[in-house]
Amino acid sequence: MTEILDYIWLGVLAVFQGPQLFSLLGFAIPAAPVMVLAGLLVGIAVGATPGLAGPMAMAIALPILISIFGFTPDALLPVFGFLIGIMKGATVGGAVPAILFNMPGTPDALMTTLDGHPMAQRGQPKRALRIAQLSSVTGDTFSDIVLFVCAPFLAVMVEAYLDLPEKTALLILSISFIAAVMGGSVGKGLLSVGLGLIAAFVGTGQALVPRLTGGVEALSNGFSLVGAILGVLILGEIFKSIEDMMQRDRAQPTTQRRDKSAVQDGLQPGDMRRIAPHVARSAVIGTIIGALPGVGSTLAATLSYTVGRKRHEKRRKDSDPGFGEGAPEGIASTEASNSAVSGANLIPVLSLGIPGNAAAVFLILAADSIGGFNPGPAVFKFTAPAINPELVTAFGIFTLMVIGNLLNWTIGGRFMRSMGVLARVPGQILLPAVLLLTLTAIYVQETSLFALWVTFGFGILGYLFRRSEVPVLPFVIAFILARPLEQTAREAFAATGGDPWFLFSSPTSVMFIVAAIASVAFLSRK
Amino acid sequence: MSRNKANLILGCGVVVLALTALAFWVPNDSATGLIVKQRGRLSIGDAMAPTAALALILVAGLLILFEKGKPAHRITSRNLRFLIAFTGVFFVSLAVMRWAAPAIIWTMGNLGLTEHSYRDLRDTAPWKYAGFVIGGTGLVATLMSMIEGRASWRAVLVGLLAVAALIAVFDLPFPDLLLPPNGDV
Repeated sequence: MTEILDYIWLGVLAVFQGPQLFSLLGFAIPAAPVMVLAGLLVGIAVGATPGLAGPMAMAIALPILISIFGFTPDALLPVFGFLIGIMKGATVGGAVPAILFNMPGTPDALMTTLDGHPMAQRGQPKRALRIAQLSSVTGDTFSDIVLFVCAPFLAVMVEAYLDLPEKTALLILSISFIAAVMGGSVGKGLLSVGLGLIAAFVGTGQALVPRLTGGVEALSNGFSLVGAILGVLILGEIFKSIEDMMQRDRAQPTTQRRDKSAVQDGLQPGDMRRIAPHVARSAVIGTIIGALPGVGSTLAATLSYTVGRKRHEKRRKDSDPGFGEGAPEGIASTEASNSAVSGANLIPVLSLGIPGNAAAVFLILAADSIGGFNPGPAVFKFTAPAINPELVTAFGIFTLMVIGNLLNWTIGGRFMRSMGVLARVPGQILLPAVLLLTLTAIYVQETSLFALWVTFGFGILGYLFRRSEVPVLPFVIAFILARPLEQTAREAFAATGGDPWFLFSSPTSVMFIVAAIASVAFLSRK
Repeated sequence: MSRNKANLILGCGVVVLALTALAFWVPNDSATGLIVKQRGRLSIGDAMAPTAALALILVAGLLILFEKGKPAHRITSRNLRFLIAFTGVFFVSLAVMRWAAPAIIWTMGNLGLTEHSYRDLRDTAPWKYAGFVIGGTGLVATLMSMIEGRASWRAVLVGLLAVAALIAVFDLPFPDLLLPPNGDV
């Protein structure tokens, strides 16, 4: 127990005694907490801008952050701080255009429009925004607490009980589960995973001659992680959005006049009591769903909204608005749930090294780019007296998340309410500028026009995926997990003396493989 | 096109590509086979992982082929026309970004205005910005014009502002970072 407390304290110290950003009145200002604040504000602004999203901002920020802080382990916490700030801020900010203009700033905020916008239409936009912020931050804080408890526990269990064959089987289970639950059909989910794996295998391998390059020298080190991920995730989305804008009249912000009569805006007496049970229930639903890799916040928000509506209908008075008519409980249900997903999504990342959503992908990308921290079960080794620096970083990340939540509780709401203007930035200006920004961010990292062509190629793939309803996230997650999967399988095969049935060598690995097959067979959506 | 037909085309395409890759690509482009015996020990060869991935793609193709359900989106000829146009804009913009500044310096050299090559000047303002400004502005302005359905000076202005903002973010504070195309020339 003392060891754990020592490591928690070291994590806190790493945040506050890490590299200083500047000196104010003789006091050194540590970089990491300031970066959380900056990331949070950027995240709220990005979330409040329809067409932009947290992962997009994380992708663009990463090369800038690495340029500022370098490739040393000291850079990890400031960089993670900024990215975590964006992740938290974007979740909150997405509610702003959803409530004010009936345009969800992020896909997560789609359900928020159902009650948030009607409430704003009734002349209570500030009340709707305040309820959204309180619910969102509560859900996020709850899931972070679950993360702090569960991730180390899960990682220790994995390290203690899982050997190489079981770890291989666990990776296969994760990928199969993601393929089964994401997208419209299991076939397309598996296709996405298969293509992600094959793309990751290009140019790698253990032989002296790189495999699957087709003789192209530039591919001898494989596709870059940055190019592949940003291409499929960001460029693909930009291409699709540009085409959508070309083919239809731009969606005009809602111009209905709001009722500004004698309705009192801001939180009303009794609002907290009304939303509390909905926030609590939705936070639990969001956390459970978020802990499963690949299951998105949209499902969590939809499920919480449906459950919340049933409870609300049973108990509401005639004078209370129903769900879909501007009910505070409706806003609370969706916002608490979709925000709870973001913290819980980090449970598989930190404990198993398996990213569950796009934000987690960028945290892994940052760790991979900087070095010195490999998310996975090996992080949580409580060594003494020798200090495990990765574990200190992990507790530093938890500290950053607490700081992010505190900032979100205190200044997040005020900043969020001032961001309504961003929802009016025209998409035809935003999208081409973001495309150039993304390309520039990739170039300064890779310094090669070939990297831009590779990114463009993956962008086309991402566009075709979206148009064919093939989910993109399984591709990205499979791309990231492909090399660890192959490496673990090679080691497991060698360790079992070349046993071709090594995946069935223990009851645990058999259970994982059966679960993988079952997830594909039974979790596929019709 | 019905969903079944759309899935039929996608499924067939995936199956054919997976089988072709399994039969020709992986065996001919991997240095080692599925299993390798080195110094008496068996180990997994370089072809194993791609073969497993392609087998998964093959299964995915078969599943898509026999899938039933609600009507699905599909790639239309309109989508393909957009992709071709977009690729053209991207290609021209990147080519301009790559070659505009060297071409300007080459022309100036022929006119006797400079004795330097672009490589000598690529770390000197304004030359180091020339390709990025011309190509980047062109990309933003062209895409904006495509979306709006008309060319306008406003689009050019937005492109210039976007490029200026990116120079301010990436180049001015970080002298070590290279804007496109300066890492390639």
